[in-house]
Amino acid sequence: MRRFSAIAYNEVLLNSKRVAPYVVAALCAGNAVLWWGWGPASGRGLAVNSDLFIYGVLPPYSFLFLPLYTSLMMADPPIRDLREGITPLIFSKPITRAEYLLGKFSGNFFVLTCCQSMFVVTLFILQWVPKHGVTVLARTQFLAYPKHFLVMVAISHMFLAAIYFTVGTLTRNAKIVYGLGIGFYPLYIGYQVILLKRLPWRLKLALDPLVMNRGGVDSGEAFGPNAIRRHVPELLNQLVVVYDTDLIVNRVVMILLTAICLTILYRFFSTTERAGKLEKLTVIRLSTAAEGVYYPDPPALVLDESEKRDDKTSRTPVALPEVSSTNEGIRATLNKLIAAIGVEFRLLRAERSLVVVAPLSIFLCLLEVAFYPIHEDVSLSAAYASNTATSLLIFLIGMAVFYTGEAMHRDREVRIEPFLWTTPVSNSVLILSKFLSTLLLLFALIASVGVAAVAIQVIRAHTPVDPAAYLKIYGLILFPGAFILTAISVMGNVVLRSKYVFYVVSIGIASGLFYLYTSGHNHWLYNPVLYRLWSYADLASNMKAIVLYRLGWLAIAGVCLMLAHLFFERRSRRKLNLPLPFALG
Amino acid sequence: MLKISNLQKTYSSGVHALKGISLEIPPGMFGLLGPNGAGKTTLMKILATLLEPDSGAAEMNGIDLIDAKAETRKILGYLPQDFGLYPTLTAFQMLDYFAKLKGVTNKKERHSLVDALLEKVNLSAERNRRLGGFSGGMRQRVGIAQALIGNPDLLIVDEPTAGLDPEERARLHNLLAESAGENTVVLLSTHIVSDVSNLCDRFAVIRRGEIVAATSTGAALKQLDGHVWEATVPREHVAHLEEVGKVISKQMAGGNTRVRILSENGKPAAAFAPVPATLEDFYFTVVNQT
Repeated sequence: MRRFSAIAYNEVLLNSKRVAPYVVAALCAGNAVLWWGWGPASGRGLAVNSDLFIYGVLPPYSFLFLPLYTSLMMADPPIRDLREGITPLIFSKPITRAEYLLGKFSGNFFVLTCCQSMFVVTLFILQWVPKHGVTVLARTQFLAYPKHFLVMVAISHMFLAAIYFTVGTLTRNAKIVYGLGIGFYPLYIGYQVILLKRLPWRLKLALDPLVMNRGGVDSGEAFGPNAIRRHVPELLNQLVVVYDTDLIVNRVVMILLTAICLTILYRFFSTTERAGKLEKLTVIRLSTAAEGVYYPDPPALVLDESEKRDDKTSRTPVALPEVSSTNEGIRATLNKLIAAIGVEFRLLRAERSLVVVAPLSIFLCLLEVAFYPIHEDVSLSAAYASNTATSLLIFLIGMAVFYTGEAMHRDREVRIEPFLWTTPVSNSVLILSKFLSTLLLLFALIASVGVAAVAIQVIRAHTPVDPAAYLKIYGLILFPGAFILTAISVMGNVVLRSKYVFYVVSIGIASGLFYLYTSGHNHWLYNPVLYRLWSYADLASNMKAIVLYRLGWLAIAGVCLMLAHLFFERRSRRKLNLPLPFALG
Repeated sequence: MLKISNLQKTYSSGVHALKGISLEIPPGMFGLLGPNGAGKTTLMKILATLLEPDSGAAEMNGIDLIDAKAETRKILGYLPQDFGLYPTLTAFQMLDYFAKLKGVTNKKERHSLVDALLEKVNLSAERNRRLGGFSGGMRQRVGIAQALIGNPDLLIVDEPTAGLDPEERARLHNLLAESAGENTVVLLSTHIVSDVSNLCDRFAVIRRGEIVAATSTGAALKQLDGHVWEATVPREHVAHLEEVGKVISKQMAGGNTRVRILSENGKPAAAFAPVPATLEDFYFTVVNQT
C-alpha cells in the first residue's frame, strides 16, 4: 500500500510541474463561466445554484470537451517512464506490476478529477457573483456540487480514463489515444443513435457511460430550454434530485467496467522491449574488433565462420568516392528544398494519428451530402462543394495546427536537430519544407474530399457534375485557407517554441473568433478562412472582392512565413536571421 | 589549422561553461579530454555553429566559425553526443537525404557515396532496414557516416564512444582513424582516456571551463617519466601514503591495495617500484590538481 501511494503521489508531483493540467483546469473553469452566464438558464429564471441546474449541466459538460482532456491526461504515464528509461529503475525495486499500474492510474486520475472539478468549484464561487439575467437562490449550495460531480462526471471519466490508460500503456503510443479521444465523439454519437436509441429505456440508462439520456427519461426532459419553458422556474428551483436505482446501476456498471479494463491491462502489461525493436543481430556478429589495429587489447572473442568472413571483407578500409557538391544559388536551394519536402511528407504520412484523423474527417465532411437531402441553390455541384467545404474548414484548422506542430518540433523530439542544423542548408529550406509538406497533406485531404463528393454526387444520380463549381469553391476558399492556416501555424510554433503552448493558444484564439463570428461580429480582416462570409452566389457575382480578400490574407501568410524565418532559433548570423526573400539561395 | 581564442560562454542559469578557451589545433586527430560538466560539449556546440558564445573567436582555413555559420557548415561534419534518427526511414534513405542536404546533387555520385559509406561503417546489409530497429552501436555508425559526407575539413565528434561496448568502441576508433585525412582536423571530445591514447597525437584537458593542459601524448608521458610509482600495500597503509605523494589510483588486489603514486621526490616508500607512466596518470594528475 505504501509503494502504491508513493507511485500515485509521484504522479501528482510530476503533473504539478506540467503545463497541461493547469490549462485543462483553466478551460474547465472557463466552461463553467459560460454555462453560468450564457447557458440555458440565463434569462429564464432557473437558478444557477439550484440542484436541478447543477445536476443537469454536468452530463453535457462531461460530453463536450472532457473526453479530449481525459485522453490528454491519461495517454502516456507509463509511456513517459519507458521513454525516459525510468521503468527499469522502478522495477528493480520491490514493486509489483499491480502497485505500479494502479499507482500510475490513481495518481493521474486524481489530477484529472481535480482539473475537471474546477468546473463545479467555479460554479460554487459564482453563487456570490451578481449578473443581469442570472438567477441565484438565496440559500447557498455546498454539498450538491461535489455530490453531483462525483456521480455524474468523475465515475463516467474513470471508465474513459481506464480505457485510454490501458490502450496507451499496451500500445505504448500516446497518439493512438489522442486519436481515440477525437474519435470518441462520432463513436459515442453512433452508439447513441444506432444502438441505444432502439433499446428499452432502462437498458438505455444502464448502458450510457455519460448518462446523457437521463434528462429525457426521468423527468420528461426535466432540463434544457424546452423544460424550462414548460415548467415554472420557481418550481424547478425547488426540486431536489434523488438518484434512482437505474442511475445507481449505471454507475456500478461503469465502475465494474473500469475494474475489468484495468485487469486486462494488468494481464497484458509488460516492461520488456518489444519484439519488433529487438536487435536481430548480436553485437559480436557486427564487431570486427579483431581488426583493431588502433586498439591495444582486442577482446578475446570466439567468432564463428560467418563472422570471420565478415572480418576478411571489412579488413580493407573503404575509400569514399570523390563527389561534387553544390551549395550556392537558387538551384542548389531548390534541390535541397525538394529533398527536404520529400522526407518531411514521408514522415507526416507515417504519423499514426493520420490513420484515424484523415478517414474520420473525410467521413464527417461527406456525412451530410451522402445521407441527407441536398438543397439545390445554384446547382447541385455547387451545393455539394459548398457543403463539404464548410464542413472541411473546421478540420483544416485542426489539422493545420496539429500537423504543423508535429512537423516543426519533430526534429527536436527525435534529437536529429544537431545533424540537420549543421548541414549547409539555409533556414528557409528547413522552414519551407515543413510548411509545404503540411500544406501538401492538407491539399491531399481537400482533394480526397472533393473526389469523394463527386463520386457521391454521381452515385446519388445528382448529375450533371459541374467541375467548375468545385474548382471555384475549393480553389478560392479551401486551398488558400489551408495555406494561410499553415503559415500562421508555422509562425506560431517558431515564436512560441512549444507545440503544446501553440495548441492551447490556437484553441483559445479559434474559440474566441468563432464566438465573435456567431454573435454577428464577422469581417474578413479577422476571418482568414472566410467562415460564413461567402456563398456560391457571391463567388459567381462578387468574385473580384473575394479574390482580393484572399490575396490580402495570402500576403499576411507571407508575412507570417517571413517572421518565422526571422525568429527561427537556428542562427545563420549572430543577431536575427535575414527575412525570407533575402535568405533564399 | 583550427584556431580558438578566448571563447567564453555563460548560460542563462549562471553556469560559467567556458572561461576563455584558447587552442590551436593542427590537422589530424586532436583529443579533448575532461570530466563530465567540464565544458567539452559547450565548446563542441559552439564550433559546430549550434551555440552562440558570449565572446571570443574561432577560425579555420580563413573561415570565421562564429560569424560565418553558413560557410562553416560547408566544411563541417558533426557527430553530437546525444542524437536520434528518423525511425521510419531506412539507413540508405537517411544518408541519401543528408547527402542531398550537403549539396551532392548528382544522383549517381550520391548513391555511390552512400553505398560506400554504408560499406565503410559495415551497414551494407542493413541498408534497407528502418533505423527504428537499430542498436545503439549501429546508430552511432550511421551518425559517423553522415558526418563523413562531403569530406569535411572539420570533423567534430562529441563523446562518440560513451555507452558503447568494447567491440563497438574499437570499430569507431578505426573509423575515426581512417577518416582523419591530411587536411582534416578531427576534434574528438571524450572523458575516456583510452579513446585519446588510441587515436590522438595531441590533446587538451579541459576542467571547469578552462584548458589545464594542451600537449602531445608523447610530451605528456615524458613529463611524468620516472615520477610514477606503484606498490601493493595493506589497506590500512593507504591513508598514510597520501602524505608522501599524490595518489593517482587505487585498485583492490587480493585483499591488499595496489596504489599508483606520483612522486617527484624519488621513491615514496620501500615497497614502491617505478612504472612507465600512462596517459591516465597524466589525466588524473592534471584534473585533480587544485
